Amino acid sequence: MERRQDIALGLIFVGLGIAAAWMATSYSGAGGTYPMVLGVILTLLGGTVALRAVRKGANKARLLVDAPVKMITAVVIAAIYVTLVVPLGFYTSSFLLMLALPIALGFRQGIYALIVALVFMTVVYLVFSVLLEKPLPSEALAPLFGLGV
Amino acid sequence: MEFYTQALSNVLTFWPLIAMIGSTLLGVFIGALPGLNPVMAIALLLPLTYSMDPLVALGMVAGIYNGSMYGGAIPAILLRIPGTPASIATTFDGFPMADKGEASKALKIACWSSAVGGIVSAIALMTMGPLLARVTLFFGPAEYFWIAIFGMASVGVMVGSDPIKGIMAAVIGLLIGTMGIDSLSGQARFTFGQTWLLGGLDLIVVLVGLYALPPVLQLAEKCDLKGLSAAQLKLTNTPFNKGEIRGLIPTWIRSSGIGIGVGILPGAGGNIAAFLSYNAAKNASDDPDSFGKGNPQGVAAAECGNNADNAASMIPALALGIPGNVVAALVLSALTIHGLQPGPQLFHQNPTLVGGFMMEMLITSLLILLLGGAVATRVFAQFQRLPGVLLVPSILTLMCVGVYVINGRPVDLWVMLLAGVAGYFLEKVNVPLAPIILGMILGPMAEQSVRRALLISRGDATELLTRPISATLAVATVLVVAWPLIKAVRRKRAIATKSD
Amino acid sequence: MKIKTTLISLTAAAAMATPAFAEYPERAIELTIPAGAGGGTDTSARKLAILLEEALGQSIAVLNVGGGGGSVGASQFMQAKPDGYSLFATWNSPLTTVPQLQNVAYTLDSFTPIASTSETAYTLCVDADFPAETGEEFLAELAANPDKYTYGNDGIGGTMQLAAERIFQAREISAIAIPFGGAGETLQNFLGGHVDIYGGSISTVLPYVETGKAKCLLVTSAADVPALEQASGLAAVGMPENETLLWRAILGPQGMDPEIVEMLGAIIETAVNDPSYVKFLATKGEVPNVVLGANLGARLQAEFDALAAVSASLGLGQ
Repeated sequence: MERRQDIALGLIFVGLGIAAAWMATSYSGAGGTYPMVLGVILTLLGGTVALRAVRKGANKARLLVDAPVKMITAVVIAAIYVTLVVPLGFYTSSFLLMLALPIALGFRQGIYALIVALVFMTVVYLVFSVLLEKPLPSEALAPLFGLGV
Repeated sequence: MEFYTQALSNVLTFWPLIAMIGSTLLGVFIGALPGLNPVMAIALLLPLTYSMDPLVALGMVAGIYNGSMYGGAIPAILLRIPGTPASIATTFDGFPMADKGEASKALKIACWSSAVGGIVSAIALMTMGPLLARVTLFFGPAEYFWIAIFGMASVGVMVGSDPIKGIMAAVIGLLIGTMGIDSLSGQARFTFGQTWLLGGLDLIVVLVGLYALPPVLQLAEKCDLKGLSAAQLKLTNTPFNKGEIRGLIPTWIRSSGIGIGVGILPGAGGNIAAFLSYNAAKNASDDPDSFGKGNPQGVAAAECGNNADNAASMIPALALGIPGNVVAALVLSALTIHGLQPGPQLFHQNPTLVGGFMMEMLITSLLILLLGGAVATRVFAQFQRLPGVLLVPSILTLMCVGVYVINGRPVDLWVMLLAGVAGYFLEKVNVPLAPIILGMILGPMAEQSVRRALLISRGDATELLTRPISATLAVATVLVVAWPLIKAVRRKRAIATKSD
Repeated sequence: MKIKTTLISLTAAAAMATPAFAEYPERAIELTIPAGAGGGTDTSARKLAILLEEALGQSIAVLNVGGGGGSVGASQFMQAKPDGYSLFATWNSPLTTVPQLQNVAYTLDSFTPIASTSETAYTLCVDADFPAETGEEFLAELAANPDKYTYGNDGIGGTMQLAAERIFQAREISAIAIPFGGAGETLQNFLGGHVDIYGGSISTVLPYVETGKAKCLLVTSAADVPALEQASGLAAVGMPENETLLWRAILGPQGMDPEIVEMLGAIIETAVNDPSYVKFLATKGEVPNVVLGANLGARLQAEFDALAAVSASLGLGQ
């Protein structure tokens, strides 16, 4: 496991390094030399990691993810949340996240989650919208409740 | 002396005191929440300072600034999520301590160390301000270059078991640091035709993703449905053992010195003070291998270093009129609005206000000692009583709002998410994350200063080494890199002679 | 991109069709500043926002979007709805200087000019023992010693550098430009003796003129600046046509309702001339300067064209 992981890691960094160095060749003057050198160094380091793994590689078990289903669920829901923040509005989507994620992870006390979500969203609202006056993505549902935009 | 007793009696009145207490508490909260930073709160306060009593307004600035530097340590210790870039080094030993059931002790050490750093720094500001300001001027582009390189040498302590992967992480950080418009040539680098990348990737956006998402995902994997009981929290007040404080004193002295030294250099940034202090503590230790495994000295060094930077960073701002960071710039504009002109005359123009502000930096540091511990254990640690599965979406929401309000653009959320997933896997394959952030901080500083220095010397690279301060810094860098090796060799020899 | 422009023009058309603007403003206004918190543009905009909040009876939320010399904030802002609830407080450089160097997504037509607010000149200063006592002597010394002197400025292709190069070009002067992150950093390097000439804003260097450490000999405005007695304006050295100023303005996205533009312009003009704001500007070495609507558009265009000529001859252009 460890061996295969390190070979893959090394090759990814070799790829990144070559891409960076190649892109930097089109930059003019001293502004291009520095990132190009960095790209070359990254390629060499990545190559070393990969080669080292090929040559000896104590092949110990090293799990990349302990609980793949849970981890992927969390990442996917986080990605859906980020996608919905702008169209739905910040507070609506965050509220949905606070309910959906615990349930997807196997939490069965819906009321508990609801209370925590309500309290938490109120605090966030007070800090960011009232105290700090920060503009957040506006709520798509707000007009339905006659709250203005 | 009379100057300061006068200032003290002005500051110790009802409203300035209330302002300091309230804002220190607020600052601790701001520092503790990832993505929220003191600059946001202080920028918002600034317009208010125009109409407010300046000592009240400046007291609030001081409280938020000092409080937030300590606040960053709380999630760093409890969850391994640094609240600010300056508290990354706190996670190295703070979280292992919490893991061993010493969370309460770690928080206490962080609290005391932050207060000590802040107090020493405030005293330096009050007693040696103009003197230290003159030191600032000796640092030109060539010296800044060496400061950056010196900082990067401290990567050595965070590479962990696999140096090649550590250096690889640092190079990635340096490459990320080159993104955006190159300020010396106007060349756009690695922007992929995207306008929002012209300013480069935001440090806080990457930090929040890289550092906060992996622990959150691990929390989701653990899938804890119950939360900790009060007994499991193990937050009983653990008093310092006999001699424990005395053991921390050398670290405090060293870290305060480093924090002040970095603080007086405009633009060098308090973010590296904690790294440098941590590195120095590890190098000075008899048992460097215990660092990163829950050594209290590591927490003390990092937290003392980042708070010692605070008041010191006001020195060039107040004595020279050169703001070294955003907070200092905001303080300067608050002072000008009250008719003061920052610069060499400032100390004489309005001793009440300037002296009062320095006094407030001192008092808010003391307040950390009084308030900090309670906030950490009574409020933040209690969050761990929530079931982990509820903590996961709460932290995610905070990360998103914190990242979104920085630039008000949704794409930053994706940057955060991608950085987080990358961070999750990099950690799993033993690539340390701290060098990435350090590279992002120091890369631009190193590159720009060396190119400026070469412009000034008309391309003559020897000038980087012939100036006295640059030469000293260059030698120091070599020593910092070589010191752990020398020590290791010596220890081996000592063991060899013993066995003979 | 095409869809976006259609959308923008559609919403603009829809906005103009409804007479709902009688009640403008009925909710909070978002003010984008293309620079970080704490800088000159930020502080003057935040201070002005307080006065505008009073006049409009609505709160103004400030959003700092720094980076790319202001181009990041400008590009982000041009996509805002032209409904009067998104405004842009900027200095002239992101609109007139940055496009000469960077490949930006916006043009002057991407914005609706509302009102300019204040302006100031840049200055060039030297150490007390520099062998010149007047602006004319200063230029002569530079012309006689090509490439001997270094001058610090606010960044490559920034307005300060172009302001200096316009003057240098007219006198066939060659000095070495050292770009720094801002006037504070330039001052630090000037005081430490790392560069020979300070180039930047007046207020930053003013305390050192009073102590005699710095000697300011030239300003980039045509007229002299009262605060700097020793400095010559460009008219005094015979080249008033090479004037370059730093000035600030408030704009909206393309296609704003002319009535709202007019109303905002009038409110901004009153706010800028409020005694408390004038006093605030004075601490920063700036003076109020209000140019409204179409005249502001013409001013932007004229400056854009003049700087395009300078940067082309400097070889800085794209």
